[in-house]
Amino acid sequence: MTTTMNRPAKPAAAIKPKPTFKQRLNVFDVKASPYLYIAPFFILFALVGLFPLVYTFVVSLFDWHLLKGQGDFVGLQNFTEVLQDRFFWNSLFNTVSIFLLSAIPQLAVALFLAAVLDQNLRAKTFWRMSVLLPYIVTPVAVAMIFTNMFGEQYGLINNVLGNFGLDPVMWKNETLPSHIAIATMVNWRWTGYNALILLAAMQAVPRDLYESAALDGAGALRRFFSITLPSIRPTMVFVVITSTIGGLQIFTEPRLFDPATAGGSQRQFQTTVLYLWEMAFQRQNFGKASTIAWLLFLIIVLFGVINYLISRRIATADAARPSRSTRRARERAERTTR
Amino acid sequence: MKFVRRHTATAMAGVAAMALMATGCSSSSEQAASADNPVELTVTTFGTFGYDDLYAEYEKANPGVKVKATNIDRGSNARTDAFTKLAAGSGLSDVVAIEEGWLGSIMEVSDQFVDLNEHGAADIKDNWVDWKFQQGTDQDGRVIGYGTDIGPQGLCYNGKLFEAAGMPSDRESVAKLFGGGDATWETYFKLGEQYKAATGKAWYDQSGFVWNSMVNQMEEGYYTKDGELNVDGNSEMKAKFEMLAAGTAAGLSANQTQWDWGNGKAFVDGSFATFVCPGWMLGTIKGQLESAGGGTESGWDFADVFPGGASNWGGAFLSVPKTSEHPAEAAKLAAWLTAPEQQVKQSAAANNFPSTLKAQEKLVADATPNVVFNNAPTGVILANRAKGVVAQFKGPDDSVIQENVFGPALKMLDAGTADADKAWSEALTLLNDLVVNN
Repeated sequence: MTTTMNRPAKPAAAIKPKPTFKQRLNVFDVKASPYLYIAPFFILFALVGLFPLVYTFVVSLFDWHLLKGQGDFVGLQNFTEVLQDRFFWNSLFNTVSIFLLSAIPQLAVALFLAAVLDQNLRAKTFWRMSVLLPYIVTPVAVAMIFTNMFGEQYGLINNVLGNFGLDPVMWKNETLPSHIAIATMVNWRWTGYNALILLAAMQAVPRDLYESAALDGAGALRRFFSITLPSIRPTMVFVVITSTIGGLQIFTEPRLFDPATAGGSQRQFQTTVLYLWEMAFQRQNFGKASTIAWLLFLIIVLFGVINYLISRRIATADAARPSRSTRRARERAERTTR
Repeated sequence: MKFVRRHTATAMAGVAAMALMATGCSSSSEQAASADNPVELTVTTFGTFGYDDLYAEYEKANPGVKVKATNIDRGSNARTDAFTKLAAGSGLSDVVAIEEGWLGSIMEVSDQFVDLNEHGAADIKDNWVDWKFQQGTDQDGRVIGYGTDIGPQGLCYNGKLFEAAGMPSDRESVAKLFGGGDATWETYFKLGEQYKAATGKAWYDQSGFVWNSMVNQMEEGYYTKDGELNVDGNSEMKAKFEMLAAGTAAGLSANQTQWDWGNGKAFVDGSFATFVCPGWMLGTIKGQLESAGGGTESGWDFADVFPGGASNWGGAFLSVPKTSEHPAEAAKLAAWLTAPEQQVKQSAAANNFPSTLKAQEKLVADATPNVVFNNAPTGVILANRAKGVVAQFKGPDDSVIQENVFGPALKMLDAGTADADKAWSEALTLLNDLVVNN
């Protein structure tokens, strides 16, 4: 008791004034509110991204019937079964095949379109908007129109071929033609979109580079390959990654290409997502469907990592930046000398 | 601070409103609909149901009831829709149409549907053909579906094409040609070969529908009466498959796409001359002819004969899921829509064949000529075709077997990429993969 009563008074100058409530609130505000501002995204992501991901994994460990619900815990049995399932591998083959058939021509054409749009055209906005037009149309409408055109017996394309005396192409019964048909739909929708993104990147390339190159006698082609392409590499990488993710998840187009089946009568164009759909809603095996979803997720992550590794090399190849270890060594040296 | 307070206030208001909505819904379900207590009932049907005018009539007779209807293009998509919503536990309409082919799956979760006995099913039980009412009753005696139509099968044929092939074209002679009461599939395929020889054209549109008819005709189909799978080692079924495969190999199939037919063009360009027709299929053909711009001149007719005898393919039920907020009103609507009087009107609109006895009698008595089918009295013919129909037990995976197991195998036959043995063994493999070891 006495000690507290006889506490020596501290010199006034040394006393840090106790922060008022308002001040403390201010400090808290500075420290905490940034987290608060970014919280909505993370809360939403946890709700609609992370939770479904985890829950899907939980479902994949059970015998889970679509209508009857949760059954026995089976561990990783669904995974071993799906990995031995010929239809799963078939769907993976189809997905990759359609992806390659769509991504490669799409990028080439988008690049060409962007280069054309990058020139000094009259009515620029008109041309730029036109290439985006297919993107605005809903994929369902696109799929229905193309499906009609690619009809085997009554389709426009086979009719035209017939007029030239050519044999009709079995667009739905043969694997490669069906993949080409579906890739066409994808390309029609996404080429313009990608062209615009690439165009934006091209616009950021300094014009004086082109001028000096032109003065040095570089032709249009040379300028494109030596200036434009290297300058837009990071954007190219972005386009490649997004189209990879999109391409591996393709569903609408193959689903509507033959509305009566889940990807063709003999699964000629059944993509992995379509197989997932068949598993869940026709075969009603929710557990295996979740397994497929997870495997697809892993595959996309794998593709993403490969993409990242390749793209990092491409993006940095030109800049001739020192490698990480030499950079670190130099930093360390600087620190010690200081 | 003011800012914060305002937000709390709106949030509180939102919560209160939601609570009000929740309680509001639960309390209104008990009251009957009236002008003061409006109720909106959602209905989901598929294919050609012919209910549009009936909804309007019901709304007029029951002030306060508003019917919001959705029609899905085909039964298999309606199946996906219903399954998805059942699995999600919400989203089903107040009244849902269920197809016979996937009733087996629904029966496994029949507790998700309202027992219509609680809403007077027992009083109207005798309206229906007894087997139809039985089909809509689960193992515990709960009635979960009121029958709408049944699918007795007759033979659609194209009189003009028959004539061009030098075959008789009037209904009676055609019925006789196919063997009348003793019509067999052998005769059907033999006539097909004759037709093919005379015209070089196909006899039927694709193998799938012929196969469905053949299987539905058997006493036991893909499942035995006890619910056991009945495909592997079923020599009767295999013999039918081989017969169909032989016909298709002889060029009798036009290899058309089911439910597509080039947007109906195949029905007007003479691609095939016969078509297996359950009652409801007449409405489908009418729709196909309309979309292809074909009319009565396209030559389709309906004969009172069917290869292999009486057969029933399809037919639907109206059920009320437990998630409905207005089960009593929904059950009332379902009962009204499936009552004989309305079934007669439905049949007139959709060309299908009613499942209640009185409606069937009325159709026979009226004998209204069907303009689309060369003025054939389709109601009378279907009533004749319905004689001797026995309901076949449909197992839980019946529709999967029909579409995902036999569908691909039959398509192989149509495309000419497999012979009977290969296609049959493909079907067995698929059955193993998709159903047995699913």
